[in-house]
Amino acid sequence: MKRTLTVCPYCGTGCMFYLVSDQGRLVGVEPSTTHPVSRGGLCVKGWNAHAFVHHPDRLTTPLIQRNGELQSATWDEALATVVTGLRDIRNRYGADALMFASSAKATNEENYLLMKLARAVFGTNNIDHCARLCHSSTVVGLAETLGSGAMTNTIDCIDQTDLIFVIGSNTTEQHPLIGTRMLNAARRGAKLIVADNRRIRLARHADLHLRHRNGSDVALLNAMMQVIIVEGLADRTFIETRTENYAALAASVADWTPERAAAVTGLTTVEIVTAARLFAAARSAMLVYAMGITQHSHGVDNVRCCANLALLTGNVGRPGAGVNPLRGQNNVQGGCDMGALPEYYSGYQKVSNPAVREKFAHSWVVAELPANPGLPLTHAMDAAASGRLHGMFIMGENPILSDPDQAHARRALESLDFLVVQDIFLTETARLAHVVLPAACYAEKDGTFTNTERRVQRGRKAIEPPGEARADWQILCALAEVAGYGEMRYAGPEEIMAEIAGLTPSYGGIAYDRLDYQGLHWPCPDHGHPGTPVLHLDHFTRGLGHFSPVIYRPPAELPDAEYPFVLTTGRTSFHWHTGTMTRRTHLLDREERTPFVEVNPDDAVRFGLREHETVQVTSRRGSIQLTARISDIVVPGVLFIPFHFAEGAANALTNNVLDPESAIPEFKVCAVSIRRAS
Amino acid sequence: MKLLSTEQLSRFFASLEKEWEVRLPIRLSDGTRALGSLADGPPALFGGALPAKPTAAFFPQDDLVFTATGRDIQPPVAPLRPLFVVGFTAQDLASLRFIDRFFAAAPKDDLYFRRRKGALIVGVSGRCGPGGSLLPISGGECDVELVREETGWIIVAYSEAGRAVTSGLSEVDSAGSLELLRKESELLQNDTQLLLRRGAELLRTDRVPDSFWKEIGDRCIACTGCNLVCPTCTCFGVKDWRSAALVERSRMWDSCQLEGFMREAGGHNPLGSEALRTRRRIHHKLAADQERWGEISCFLCGRCDAVCPTGIGIVAVVREMVTRFSP
Repeated sequence: MKRTLTVCPYCGTGCMFYLVSDQGRLVGVEPSTTHPVSRGGLCVKGWNAHAFVHHPDRLTTPLIQRNGELQSATWDEALATVVTGLRDIRNRYGADALMFASSAKATNEENYLLMKLARAVFGTNNIDHCARLCHSSTVVGLAETLGSGAMTNTIDCIDQTDLIFVIGSNTTEQHPLIGTRMLNAARRGAKLIVADNRRIRLARHADLHLRHRNGSDVALLNAMMQVIIVEGLADRTFIETRTENYAALAASVADWTPERAAAVTGLTTVEIVTAARLFAAARSAMLVYAMGITQHSHGVDNVRCCANLALLTGNVGRPGAGVNPLRGQNNVQGGCDMGALPEYYSGYQKVSNPAVREKFAHSWVVAELPANPGLPLTHAMDAAASGRLHGMFIMGENPILSDPDQAHARRALESLDFLVVQDIFLTETARLAHVVLPAACYAEKDGTFTNTERRVQRGRKAIEPPGEARADWQILCALAEVAGYGEMRYAGPEEIMAEIAGLTPSYGGIAYDRLDYQGLHWPCPDHGHPGTPVLHLDHFTRGLGHFSPVIYRPPAELPDAEYPFVLTTGRTSFHWHTGTMTRRTHLLDREERTPFVEVNPDDAVRFGLREHETVQVTSRRGSIQLTARISDIVVPGVLFIPFHFAEGAANALTNNVLDPESAIPEFKVCAVSIRRAS
Repeated sequence: MKLLSTEQLSRFFASLEKEWEVRLPIRLSDGTRALGSLADGPPALFGGALPAKPTAAFFPQDDLVFTATGRDIQPPVAPLRPLFVVGFTAQDLASLRFIDRFFAAAPKDDLYFRRRKGALIVGVSGRCGPGGSLLPISGGECDVELVREETGWIIVAYSEAGRAVTSGLSEVDSAGSLELLRKESELLQNDTQLLLRRGAELLRTDRVPDSFWKEIGDRCIACTGCNLVCPTCTCFGVKDWRSAALVERSRMWDSCQLEGFMREAGGHNPLGSEALRTRRRIHHKLAADQERWGEISCFLCGRCDAVCPTGIGIVAVVREMVTRFSP
């Protein structure tokens, strides 16, 4: 029996547990009882995190497409084919005809290496990852208002706060061990406001549950601020000493009376006023949000409003408060931190800054690095579909199921001259690849992951990868070697982190020997620095907190006679995203076996739908069949579909309309119809 | 009377490793205690019950049932050496007795007894509980018991196998301290046990309304931790993994807190709500098992209360229930 302490591979909470293995085979999971986040507990996915690892579907050899089918190949063949394929495209169309998609499931070191490979070896800033689909609007909105696009406070702050305002986060299902902290806080007397029109578990414990219309968050938040200002509840001292641009904000919300917002949101004026008074009255209030705020065509505006509300009430820069975006994947914070983004190197250092470019070029021993920001993932898919992008390298992502408008995503990937997918299973996306590279999963490699509260932690290798599969970092280094680049040779991930620390001010003090057993919160600029649990204490990262007024814009596609329902998409407790791992985990798959749609009982009566029956849901982009689940979790007029299921893919329906500033798609609102399947 | 220091005890365990697969409480790198081997970390006999159940040595979370290639079905490889498992508290030993009986009832669970048969069970008691508190002395439900007194571990062998394995240890004259500890152990008040009996009575007389279970169910995120750490939970699921070459059947710990646990193929579910599932978890231990096996099957090890992220382990729930619904 061997026990290996590692980080859970699922959500961004960053729980740690021991993988129990016996003669190279994982046999279970035991929580760490000393870990500051998980505190001896886990959620159901964590308890079952070992169970997909030995699945017979694991990829064990490289695959190359020959005669229309993927056939086993040697590593030498596969690596040479990849380098030649990418190089041919670069030579023919230029480096920016290539796109590199990194992975929020891979380690910090691996994200860093893929961004180094894209920039230093292939000469393009076209690198991005799924943060584009979840929190790109946070990165833009919070960088502008606070100066740092990350959770300002810590999970522990939930234990100290007087009020938690959760907007657009189903926390007990998507960040279960953060959600349970909230339930415990509510029981000890902290106030809980939940703004989400689904009756999620948190709503059952809330002092106030706001079931506002999908996409009306700006109206709700602007009106709350209007009430706070009119009633003299704003924190004047904080506004005067710590912020700028207050007058513009006050002017912009002045006509957002509760009456006007009530008409837009569908709430009562009493609900809006009550929310405003509760929030402003709390000695400390935490604002917590997730995809319900970010995944809109006005996602950045939503984020700005969240920051404005916190600034207005002085709830930033102290414990028990803050603006707290919950990051989805176990390393989506790290993926962003490592510069798997088209406009940034690691630590959000801009590629457009010549001094920064010079620093990286010197360290990486290349003559020059590309200066223009690259393509966001969503734009790259559009470019591929329209023939402007020719090659793509995807590490550990499954856009066929995770991107909006599946037909578009499929068309985009099928249009490519050359597609490489590096993954642990043959995903729906990998099936389209010209070359598939078999990767080690989290249990089979070392590296660091950064959780939602900016805590950098060590993942550890418990067992060997199956067959010839290799760790992502090893594959990337081998590719660099084949490409003739000699500056990606490392003894292991620890050495890669040393390079990252040397180039990344916010990670300057991150070193493996400092990460046991609680990790370190960035910014951690040097080896003597204890890390920074709470951001913006004395001053904001950008100096003063910046009020950023927002004009309300409705969602891009609203219901009409032909498509009378709002479709909103999301996840369930038991599956993770496209189901690559959880649908191969027996207990989790048993729990949610089939795609389903939540329908309000009134709508079910109106449309003659019965529980468990197969229904057809259709949007302008596609149509899927799935099982009806009649439930008052959803309000009349709204349908909810989780996006885990290939055989009833929610993203066949969603609308590929993007936020103009962050390029995040509007996953949360589109118009659909529903009927019994014939 | 045999008395060993902690260091001598470690050497004694090490000396057994040729013939036995020795597992004992160890301290892992981050301070978490677990059942492991001497090579995996320093012994950690102090601190009371381990966070994970020691019965997992015989009924692990994930266990191979067989592999089949064509018509050839192969059982898992038998363990090379019998298990020597240290670290059972008195409550753990009661739990082990309970599940031994459960797995032995027809049809006997071969997989469980593959590891359990011939295993040597070592209890831990005396002044080695949390903060030096007294852990109750088991009184013989194990092969050997390690009773901590002020200066060392008194080795008490109860079974023939226990006497054989400890026969080489030399005797010292300190029988008196064991008797004193036994008396002190017998005087330990167990208010929680009384609470459990009162809770059981409320359930048997149907005095707990459905609304209570809904409230508790609202606080359950179905992490399943309560079941997975419970030493008397024995439910498991079975899965088959098929590849071109073989079929591999294994079983894994299951949880009655999952919706799929009792869902029928047609979709109907006798445990179709969180309230019903939460009720079942408590009712099964306190009332159903009492009828089936003649005893309450919660022995108050404390694990579910420790692992539950929202504070609805069995003792917390029963305490709330008794406070609110006792006549």
